[in-house]
Amino acid sequence: MKIRQTTLAIAAIAGVSLLAACGGSDSSAPESEVAPVVEEVVLDNGLTPKEQIELRQGQLKKLGKAFKTISDQLKAGEPDMAAIQAAAASVPVESEGMADWFPAGTGPDSGVKTDALAAIWDQPDLFSEKIGNFNIAAAGLAAAAESGDAAAIGAAFATTGGTCKSCHETFRADD
Amino acid sequence: MAGSTRILVWDGALRLFHWSAVLLVAAMWWTAENGIMDWHRRMGMILFGLLTFRIVWGLIGPQTARFGSWRIGPAAILGYIRNLRSGTHTPSFGHNPMGTLSVIAILAALFAQVGTGLFAVDVDGLESGPLATLVSFETGRLAAEIHETSFNILLALIVLHFAAIVTYLVFFKDNLVRPMVTGRRAASDFGEGAISDAKLSWLRLAIAVAAAFAAMWGVANAG
Repeated sequence: MKIRQTTLAIAAIAGVSLLAACGGSDSSAPESEVAPVVEEVVLDNGLTPKEQIELRQGQLKKLGKAFKTISDQLKAGEPDMAAIQAAAASVPVESEGMADWFPAGTGPDSGVKTDALAAIWDQPDLFSEKIGNFNIAAAGLAAAAESGDAAAIGAAFATTGGTCKSCHETFRADD
Repeated sequence: MAGSTRILVWDGALRLFHWSAVLLVAAMWWTAENGIMDWHRRMGMILFGLLTFRIVWGLIGPQTARFGSWRIGPAAILGYIRNLRSGTHTPSFGHNPMGTLSVIAILAALFAQVGTGLFAVDVDGLESGPLATLVSFETGRLAAEIHETSFNILLALIVLHFAAIVTYLVFFKDNLVRPMVTGRRAASDFGEGAISDAKLSWLRLAIAVAAAFAAMWGVANAG
């Protein structure tokens, strides 16, 4: 974000000075007033930190939505099992490769707005362990949903939610 | 001042509302910070009932509780400030004009808190208000963000409220806390003008309480 903003600011200044130049006698703006090309950081996977962060935020948002669907249905008197099953099945799919969503350079010092804490890269083993716990719980939730047993779904949902919270406690800025 | 009569300024229901709100806001802040969301929701529901009660009480309660008796026009405010500056501070029977502005702001902030809390969804989609099932994840997240911002506004208003109470105590030797506890203060404190005990009517109280329960029941069944 910071890089993009700087570019915009330089572009704006350049634009204003161009306008000012138009008002003066010398209307041909020298080359040096055009915004210089700012070098963008590119990760090993070819994405910029901003793209990578937005990608994982989008995926995590999908998971949040799926959890809300399940939570809403569990609150209802007669839960819509098909909705629960679809949401629960989407969780393992949408969270696939989660361990790779956090390459080095996409933390708080990337200049992009993110709640990901530096602890992710300071304690990589603990971080992958937390993701592993979540993956196992999410698979259990999908299986429980298939069974159609509301009590089992409720228990698996609580377990899965617990793995989210446990990881966020250490690795995500307090929201 | 021997023999001076002590007049009822704040009726018992109003005082109960005030101190319940104080306790609930403190407890709800604590539960939110510590992630004890089931209690946060329960207390939020009680606060919702209390606010509903306060609105009805503002319509049918005793004079000092009534919105209709509030004087917040520019003339009333300026006159009150002049009175304060002259050093001959005359306490108001009920909310003074500036205090009324504070009450309106705090009530509005509490409504914003409860209103957004009903629909709020946490970032993980795991915790949500009782009416969150009626809205999308995005709307619920927006409600939660407003919930957080408006809480900071509420806190600022509470700090201001404290500061005002201390100011009255120190500079005007006027203890505003005691009447909010006992309900009464010396009738001779007030200037001229017809004042009578802000007594509550039990029938009206029953109506306001019934309205509060109806509102809570409505929310519990709509979600």
